[in-house]
Amino acid sequence: MVRSRPDTRPAAPQAPAPELGGIPRLAELAREAALVQLFDQHYTGLLRLAVLLGADDAEDIVSEAFCQLYRRWNRLRDPEAALPYLRSVVCNLVRMRVRHLQVVRKHAERPGAPTESAESAALLREDQRALVAALKGLPARQREALVLRYWLSLRETEIAAAMGISCGAVKSHTARGMAALTRVMEERR
Amino acid sequence: MTSTPGTAEDRLREALDALATGVTADPDAYRRVRAEWRRRERRRRLVLAILVAVVFALADVLGLWALNRADPGSHIIFDDPAPVEQHRPVERVGQP
Repeated sequence: MVRSRPDTRPAAPQAPAPELGGIPRLAELAREAALVQLFDQHYTGLLRLAVLLGADDAEDIVSEAFCQLYRRWNRLRDPEAALPYLRSVVCNLVRMRVRHLQVVRKHAERPGAPTESAESAALLREDQRALVAALKGLPARQREALVLRYWLSLRETEIAAAMGISCGAVKSHTARGMAALTRVMEERR
Repeated sequence: MTSTPGTAEDRLREALDALATGVTADPDAYRRVRAEWRRRERRRRLVLAILVAVVFALADVLGLWALNRADPGSHIIFDDPAPVEQHRPVERVGQP
């Protein structure tokens, strides 16, 4: 299903701008090399995370996350913190995007259904489609907690870091979200 | 969750996996994203350079304006009154 990216991507970062000096140039190369590796390993996963969280423009959101990481690379406490940072940015951007779309739809007063790709929906069974629809109907925080917990299988501390909340709040959002989903699915039977 | 907690979680996992499997990455995504972050970096540097140039130019203009409107007779940096020199006879001991 997932197409692997062809070899159009360079194995190593290209030479940076000529105006850069010696040490900044090395730092630039190291940053780009690290980003190439991160992109290669995690781009598809982050794209899927954005889709599961309900983003309609997942590619733009993940691109934005990588741009923010590029800009703030020197402020990372260590390279291992890059992936949690990307997850956190994706969660925040999707939440902002969904809220923006809710406001736009409210003002447009269109009875529009949420946008969902037909290709993705076609892969789901009827009960799964209903479950995903119920998931999309949850508040953003609950949806994030459930996706991070049950799709990425993250620990509570990792979820808390990604969402920028406490572990107790993660537990609360997960429990409420699961209760709401279970209620919806039982009503459907 | 109340009756069969494992089932609800498993069903959610299955549904999320099925939805995620249908998401594919654009083959040209890397080039697009790299072009975007490089464009932003260039723009950031350009804006920074322009800002520094504007601040320097403004400081220069302000300094020149202040110097130009000052009274040539009075000093604008050291405005202490000039000390009055008093000539006292020097007491010297010994042979002139």
